[in-house]
Amino acid sequence: MKVRLTIALAALVSAAATGAALAHHSFAMFDTQHPMEISGTVREFRFVNPHSVLVVTVRGENGAATDWTLECPAPGILARQGVTPSTFKAGDQFKGTISPLHSGEAGGSYFPPQVDLANGRPSAPTK
Amino acid sequence: MSLRSALGWIAASLVVAAAPTAAAQQPLDQGKYPAFEGQWIRIGPIERFDQTKPPALGQEAPLTPEYQAIFRANLADVAKGGFGDDPVYTCIPEGMPRAMNLILPMEFVIKPNITYIHMEYLGMLRRIYTDGRSFPADEAPSWMGYSIGKWLDEGGSGRYDVLEVETRSLKNPRTYDASGLPLHQDAQTIVKERFYLDKASPDTLHDQITVYDHALTHPWTVLKTMRREPNPIWVESVCAENNLQVNIGNEHYMLNNLGELMPAKKDQPPPDLKHFNQPKK
Repeated sequence: MKVRLTIALAALVSAAATGAALAHHSFAMFDTQHPMEISGTVREFRFVNPHSVLVVTVRGENGAATDWTLECPAPGILARQGVTPSTFKAGDQFKGTISPLHSGEAGGSYFPPQVDLANGRPSAPTK
Repeated sequence: MSLRSALGWIAASLVVAAAPTAAAQQPLDQGKYPAFEGQWIRIGPIERFDQTKPPALGQEAPLTPEYQAIFRANLADVAKGGFGDDPVYTCIPEGMPRAMNLILPMEFVIKPNITYIHMEYLGMLRRIYTDGRSFPADEAPSWMGYSIGKWLDEGGSGRYDVLEVETRSLKNPRTYDASGLPLHQDAQTIVKERFYLDKASPDTLHDQITVYDHALTHPWTVLKTMRREPNPIWVESVCAENNLQVNIGNEHYMLNNLGELMPAKKDQPPPDLKHFNQPKK
């Protein structure tokens, strides 16, 4: 599981930096200019349309826990990059770079590298 | 009406009613059609109408000055965290021609008198009639439009090598892509396409698309290219399943993992709750 999670995270982290467009809607509500790293515990991963959702519980300096709702790509995109419904499991340790919501709420976008099919193959790692 | 003429009328009606069904059930002459089978995946970046150019203004769409202004206003809204004019975040279909951006793969189903294009993304379906019909006079508009196609044997090989398609009766709102690149509000768009396999690479498919739209100064032609996936997988794409984006009034909000309403922009006012009992102070 740890290996699988590492592969997925490597893909997802580099994506947040690209600021690639989401399929279902524009990226405008997320602050791609100020990516941030969060660490925490996976609470839930929903492999759902139009975007998969990763919920990560993050503990602040005062120990208070906050759930971060992270919008990820559609299952159709993730599945072709090797991410499955069980890639993230409740209790997994999570560390990743996200594009936070402009609103300042505990949410953001978290997604794999833009699929580059110029050579006929995705650039994201696959399993 | 005599009994004989009445029976004749009924028989004629049955023949007319049965004709499309019978035609649709004709076996397909595989040797007559190009090898369009399999799963086709976009080559190039996601969500670009012209796959060869950068997004948004980089597309260099030949918009009229009026629609250039509309597009720039849309981009200004996006820069402030809005969704601009892109309507798809509400889960309505992309429609034509945007559907051919192929966020996710597509497949053809070719029948003697009709060709279907099934797109994984949002479960969109194109129905292209190839039975020689004309466009109906008063077709209700739809996002995928009403498409009439024609198979051509341009190479003279005895086998069709091009599918020409014209699509009309389109419904708004639609944009070319997620940047909000606009089509005209009159919804009079006509989309003409030519699907053909690459002569040097039979696992490469091209779709030359020309858009005729009153928001354009001249028809806009782009070339879409797709590759045949040797190991296809298909994934269901039902947008209503868990859409976290919510439109209330003229504002867009977002739901968190508990289904609670959150602002999507900094300092965004809450929605009007006048129809709910307000807590007493």
